[in-house]
Amino acid sequence: MDFRHDSNLHDFREQVRSFLRERLPADLAGRKSGSRSQRPDLMRWQRILDDHGWGAPYWSKEHGGTGWTVQQRLVFDEECAAAGAPTQDNFAQKLVGPVLNHFATPEQKAEHLPAIFKGERLWCQGFSEPGAGSDLASLRTQAALDGDHFVVDGQKIWTSYAHQADWIFLLVRTDPAAKKQLGISFLLVDMKTPGITVRPIVSIDGRHHLNETFFDKVRVPVRNLVGGQGEGWKLTKFLLNNEHASTADLPTLFRLLRLVKETARQRRVGDAPLVRKSEFALRLARMEAEVQAIAVLVQRVAAMEADHSPQAHAMGSILKIRGTELQQRLSEFLVEALGERGAVSRLAPAGATGDAAEDASADLQASEREAQAIAAEMFFRRASTIYGGSSEIQRGIIARSILDL
Amino acid sequence: MNFNLTEEQQLLQDSVRRFAERSYAFAARTALVQAGQGGSAQNWQLFAENGWLAAALPEAGGGLGGSVVDTALIAQQLGRALVIEPYLGCAVLAAQTLAAAASAEQQARWLPGLACGEQRYALAFAEAASNGDPSIVEMQALRSGDGYVLNGSKTLVLGANGASGYIVSARLHGAQAPHDIALFLVDATAPGVSARAWLLHDGSRAADLHFAQVRVGDEALLGAPAGGLAALREGLAHAVAALCAELVGAMEKAIEMTAEYLKVRRQFGVPIGSFQALQHRLADMVAELEVARSMLYALLASIENDSAAQRDHTVSMAKSLVGRAAKYVCGQAIQLHGGIGMTEEYAVGHYFKRAVVADLLFGNGDSHDAASAAVLQRALMS
Repeated sequence: MDFRHDSNLHDFREQVRSFLRERLPADLAGRKSGSRSQRPDLMRWQRILDDHGWGAPYWSKEHGGTGWTVQQRLVFDEECAAAGAPTQDNFAQKLVGPVLNHFATPEQKAEHLPAIFKGERLWCQGFSEPGAGSDLASLRTQAALDGDHFVVDGQKIWTSYAHQADWIFLLVRTDPAAKKQLGISFLLVDMKTPGITVRPIVSIDGRHHLNETFFDKVRVPVRNLVGGQGEGWKLTKFLLNNEHASTADLPTLFRLLRLVKETARQRRVGDAPLVRKSEFALRLARMEAEVQAIAVLVQRVAAMEADHSPQAHAMGSILKIRGTELQQRLSEFLVEALGERGAVSRLAPAGATGDAAEDASADLQASEREAQAIAAEMFFRRASTIYGGSSEIQRGIIARSILDL
Repeated sequence: MNFNLTEEQQLLQDSVRRFAERSYAFAARTALVQAGQGGSAQNWQLFAENGWLAAALPEAGGGLGGSVVDTALIAQQLGRALVIEPYLGCAVLAAQTLAAAASAEQQARWLPGLACGEQRYALAFAEAASNGDPSIVEMQALRSGDGYVLNGSKTLVLGANGASGYIVSARLHGAQAPHDIALFLVDATAPGVSARAWLLHDGSRAADLHFAQVRVGDEALLGAPAGGLAALREGLAHAVAALCAELVGAMEKAIEMTAEYLKVRRQFGVPIGSFQALQHRLADMVAELEVARSMLYALLASIENDSAAQRDHTVSMAKSLVGRAAKYVCGQAIQLHGGIGMTEEYAVGHYFKRAVVADLLFGNGDSHDAASAAVLQRALMS
């Protein structure tokens, strides 16, 4: 056990910073929102990373990645977030990519991996269904073999960014007779295939990230099956067991904390900055301590993952629960820090005649736009304790690992 | 950060663990608590023989030259068994304050006795009005001839009974004295020193000390007259790390006991651990423990790497966060045990008692939150 500063990691951080200074274009920098970047930004940034040899920051060298240690990856994420760089396509980088690296045929790799590196193809995930949420293995979307194609029929839901995606990785039932988990297979599907319909779901943040995706006699070549028929559950477990350390989204916690502090410094209450209020400063102090603790917990989980420790699983669940709950509380705190302005959703449409004259020059000020984005993010953070295994599912995992039930 | 124990650290942890499990089973502990002496002299000698008292002291002072990480490893294991001997008060708080304050010559003179267990000092810094803040000192040290005269009172001095000397903080008075806080090493038997001993809820002992016209020589002043407060803060940083580590150990053990109990206690014809309400409560306790352990590591890193100001901020964050976690976890451990958890003869309630005492020592959670808030206010209003 050694807590002294690691100078290698310090040098690495400097290297990432200088890369960001030199290669992050000004018009892509300064991103403040917590949601995913727009498709063109994301693709452009991916190409810049790839040109620098950093196209797959989380993958091993063997798979064409950077081969960074988990600690280095955390530093990379942290610095990119601090610089406001665009996000990457996490569906490709953290979910389907590692599955392809480990289970795909050489032909499948040749088809999909270069497009991921070059940012030419965005992915989405087709797992959840209306009847299969936490109980994912009860999914019913069917893929029936017909010659050299599967014919896919069914419905997926909560497919984030399906409306911006080129391909989807899909869990389907290929053997209706087999036991729940055993009849499931893992398919790659081009979103342009006839029979796919994407319908938007507007979430409580008033925005469109989520979708329902319908499959009506969609013909998918058999060569797009990853792993064997009936191996989909095995691949899913592999996929869900990747990257426990990133579930807390530490860069977001740091960003929210920075925003709270900025607001506390700038917003005036009476004749003093908000931070002068003792009740506010006390709450901020306690949140800051929690962020510090979670930051170390992330390091611990990352180290366990690097060591392939069996503890990483339950510890990842702990991190997921506490990290996402802190995201929620911190984003709520940030909205409260805005005061009454935090309650504003958007400009109202013109009112009935007889109202006071409305100021039609009402171009939103930057601060007003920011306030709305902050509130939207806070509302969307409610999803973080639901997706990726709800907090209740995680508590079950922890209880099983210690109670041995 | 490297979280894996080195071979030496593993040996150290194992040796304390063996002691805690073999010599400090709950029945043996109960006997020690009932004797009311704050532990046994034989145990203290054993701590010395095993090198635990010397582990984090500098080699020049007869120590093993280890770090606060060693202190934390020892304290965590002692915490699992709710050891009542004054490791925290004497081997960490007093010894590290002495090491931080004393000149090289004084270290060479006094530390070896602490390292080998022949001497034991207690730190008298708290006062009735100080609420854990070492900068609030009303006790006076008046310059007089070639020494000082001490007057005042100290409260809740951990491990005072049986200590050979007290390290006392006092404010300098008299001509040319700039009202600095200085530290003095005072013999426990010096004329004018009187004590009132207390048993704390956790079975440990502490004392209120009164100093009436106590005369000490120049050599009793530790280090420079102006260095007292900085040394106290350093000693307290080590003590808070040890206390947090103890609480992490105590939470571990309380959770293990509770998990075991949920497997064997049956109601409605099944083990109560099969109920999801109880499973999720236990899972939350485990999560609380791991967040607290992470905060402890953040504090150890801060002590190893940061400036004194940054370190003290982390001390406050850790004291509050880990203290609250321990009260929550140990309180819920009683809850999940039901009635049996309420009994004096069952162990789990004593873990909660330790957590309550720990929160009250060195400033409670609220006062450390206020200290952190003040740091934020200074930083954001400048």
